[in-house]
Amino acid sequence: MPASTTPRPVKNSILFGIVLVAALLIPASAALAGIVAPEAGGGTPNAEGIRSLYLLIFGFGCVVFAGVGGLLIWTIVRYRSSKGAVAVQVHGNNRLEIGWTVGAALLLVLISVVTFVKLDQIKNPPNSSANGLSTPKNVSFSSGPAKPALPPNGRSLNIDVNGQQYVWRYTYADTDTNNLNNVFSYGQMVVPTNTTVSLSIRALDVQHSWWIPELGGKFDAVPGYTNYTWFKISEPGIYNGQCAELCGRGHATMIASVKAVSPAEFEQWYAAQKAAILAAEKEVAATRNAQVAKDEQALKDAQKEAGPPAAPAEPADGEKIFVAGVPATGALACGSCHALKQAGTNAAVGPNLDVVLKGQSAAMIKASTLSPNKLISKGFAANIMPANYATSLTEAQLDALVQYLDEAVNGK
Amino acid sequence: MRWSNTSTKPSTESDLQMTTTSAAPADKAIPEIVTNSASPRPTGWLSWLTSTDHKRIGIMYIVAAWMFLVLGGVEALLIRLQLAVPDNTLLSPQTFNALFTMHGTTMIFLFLMPMIAGIANYLVPLMIGARDMAFPKLNALSLWLFIAGGIVFYGSLLFSPAECGWTCYAPLSETAYSPSNGVDSWIFLVHLVGVSSFIGALNIFVTITNMRAPGMSWGRLPLFVWTILTQAIMLIISLPVIAAAVTLLLTDRHFGTHFFDPTNGGSPLLWQHLFWFFGHPEVYILVLPGFGVISEILPVFSRKPIFGYKAIVAATLGIAVIGTLVWAHHMFTVPLPFFLLVFFMLGTYLVAIPTGVKIFNWVFTMWRGAIEFPVAMLYSIGFLATFLLGGITGIFLATFPVDWQLHDTYFVVAHFHYTIVGGAVFSMMAALYYWFPKMTGRMMDEKLGRVSFALTLGGFWITFLIQHSAGLSGMPRRVYEYADVNNLGTYNMISTIGSFILALGVLLTIVNIVQSLRSGAKAGPDPWRGNTLEWFTPSPPPINNFDVVPRVRSVEPMRDIRRQIERQSRVGDEADVAAGS
Repeated sequence: MPASTTPRPVKNSILFGIVLVAALLIPASAALAGIVAPEAGGGTPNAEGIRSLYLLIFGFGCVVFAGVGGLLIWTIVRYRSSKGAVAVQVHGNNRLEIGWTVGAALLLVLISVVTFVKLDQIKNPPNSSANGLSTPKNVSFSSGPAKPALPPNGRSLNIDVNGQQYVWRYTYADTDTNNLNNVFSYGQMVVPTNTTVSLSIRALDVQHSWWIPELGGKFDAVPGYTNYTWFKISEPGIYNGQCAELCGRGHATMIASVKAVSPAEFEQWYAAQKAAILAAEKEVAATRNAQVAKDEQALKDAQKEAGPPAAPAEPADGEKIFVAGVPATGALACGSCHALKQAGTNAAVGPNLDVVLKGQSAAMIKASTLSPNKLISKGFAANIMPANYATSLTEAQLDALVQYLDEAVNGK
Repeated sequence: MRWSNTSTKPSTESDLQMTTTSAAPADKAIPEIVTNSASPRPTGWLSWLTSTDHKRIGIMYIVAAWMFLVLGGVEALLIRLQLAVPDNTLLSPQTFNALFTMHGTTMIFLFLMPMIAGIANYLVPLMIGARDMAFPKLNALSLWLFIAGGIVFYGSLLFSPAECGWTCYAPLSETAYSPSNGVDSWIFLVHLVGVSSFIGALNIFVTITNMRAPGMSWGRLPLFVWTILTQAIMLIISLPVIAAAVTLLLTDRHFGTHFFDPTNGGSPLLWQHLFWFFGHPEVYILVLPGFGVISEILPVFSRKPIFGYKAIVAATLGIAVIGTLVWAHHMFTVPLPFFLLVFFMLGTYLVAIPTGVKIFNWVFTMWRGAIEFPVAMLYSIGFLATFLLGGITGIFLATFPVDWQLHDTYFVVAHFHYTIVGGAVFSMMAALYYWFPKMTGRMMDEKLGRVSFALTLGGFWITFLIQHSAGLSGMPRRVYEYADVNNLGTYNMISTIGSFILALGVLLTIVNIVQSLRSGAKAGPDPWRGNTLEWFTPSPPPINNFDVVPRVRSVEPMRDIRRQIERQSRVGDEADVAAGS
């Protein structure tokens, strides 16, 4: 072993020590300033779990960085070329190389174990506390194969978070089946403290990402998918965040905030919102009815003015109405949505009439034509078929249509 | 006889050839200098444009790449200017989005890939003792396809550039949300540079597998060539996938298909899977050649063999295999089944093992050496320190619950700049300073190089270290403005100052290149006392590279040759002494 340079053990170990201490101190002091760890606050267990997992990995990272960085600096200082220095011609060392391969692997196993230990706290929502809001069981917006994150007892306040260019809409799940009268808000979400809030995250247009740093990780709102997360806030307050996936020119301004209030305050807010929505709904219905009445009156007046029809109306043709509708009054053709063998239509927007009208009475066919939402065939949604046939068809036309359908299906 | 750093050899440098007379008896096999007459090298710009010489193509790749580096750098500085203060109104959101789209796309497809292609083009045939690439005309086609791609992409500056980021996620990149044809020019760029790289990779693969010098078995292949070979295989695997993805996007945009449109049964996640199946291997496609460069430079300036040649080759192949299978760690926040999250987390951890092996092997290559510090070596050490931190922050992001917090923030921006700039750009700077003498016959200015290195490394750390904090304080990436909360204003100001220092450092290297081309010291064939065959031929090498290719007996053929010359000349001296006395 030729001595390469004049050994300077004391100087080197001092240098090494300084480097090591500096490498450890800089992050430590910075940690106090809150520069090296994610934001925290609000006391939701998932965010705290992520933060503590982060800090553990940060600890490992500091040791590795100080160790390898220190070794690097020590090596280039200690073995820098100087007069008479001779490089030792070694090609490798199997024991050393296997050693650091296994060492790296062990460190990763350690990090994996820590991650899996912390995972339950981060991933699985706990039950709401006793002083939280009492919420109904298994009520949530969900679709697709993925399961919403629900606490063990299945009780959470579920909110549908919908990302749209460039705003967030929040819809609160409730127990009735009508999704049009749910409480909703834009931009700011109001939630009760000590209550597990589960989120069903979706997008209307492009991809967005739901992120409130203090309330845990971010979850992407992907069009066509539902993503799920949750939080359970213990500290009342306002928590701010913003969209974290590029969604267009307004991406930077697509902010989100969560306002946590006591359950009592939340119930008050919720009731006020609900009442406002119901009142608005009533008002809209009244306006709509008044407008409909006005339109009908105007139509009648116009008909009166035009005098009696010049020629007697041709006898109503059920098949013609079925295939072509009555465009003048806005009656859409049945055949553009329904299949009927006799008329030769095969659309599948609505149910196949040869199947669903089989054996039905004429009265039943008439009722279904006038009020399509009364009886919904399996596999079809409500509110697809127009409900205007009472006004857009005359009594004679309607009867002709019903008779045509009855004969076509039940073959009288 | 020894090789000296400054050439005092005969002035007819390009005619100088070194050869071994292998036919002679073993005890007389003295390498010697012979002068051959060679036909004059064609000159003039047309001879460059029509060249199929791998060296000229390599230089044109590098020059074009540096032009795009300047463009991408200016874009980066504009981005940093906009973000220097909170609520800035310097740039409109439209301009800002176009800028970061162009910056990312330029630096990856138009700077790093061609820069690596240029260095590989120049050096692979020289290092393996070949006289050119296997398919010289295809090689020229690769170069011109890349330049066409760059022109098409920058052509969109004349109307409206893409604004969807270099990832161009659907449905944002669909016509409904990106109606301008900027996205189309982006698609065209990806196709052109993709075909260019694909042809180039096939060419490299065939060249390395078939045209090595006699005696250069796989165990004697220079490590740089190993990484280029591995990179070529990764390109051949991953490029067809991105080509398919952008083709689907093109038909979605113009021919009525709905591959990525969820309202018609398509899936935005399909785009992400296809994109990242290319996008993640791409990271290793960019850094593996850098690893190769470092593995060549560290032993030369430590005056020691590489520590653990086989382990480094194995680690290179390991990184390539694992790196191809971990793409979905870019997608931890989309709806994915739990077992996939775990699979991709553990897979990503695995990449750290071969990477760690390499870092230790590099440090131990210097250990007990006699280390010299020319600028190429400084950049190599800067690479080690910077890439080390980038690797460590990678572990944070690989841990999916932590990634849920850090994903798409400035922490990620900092992380990938540490890996890509630390891993690929710094190593390419090292490559430039190391091989510039070979390519031009002139040395670069060491003093200016040192200043440039200090500014580049310092500027880089100032710019990007603090961005980790910005991300941890809640700043997402790709935002044109931010509110002054959680010290974000301070962090961003520091980062902007750093970026200008970094830019000054790069600018000084460009000045250095221009100056050294004109007035640099003559380099001679082997200014660094290198290990590999490119130092066997004059600088710059003649068109045919080598008149005689020596037989390779180890991974360091030039060391063997130097040693042989020394031994022979010592024998000769002793003989002289004996004769004299």
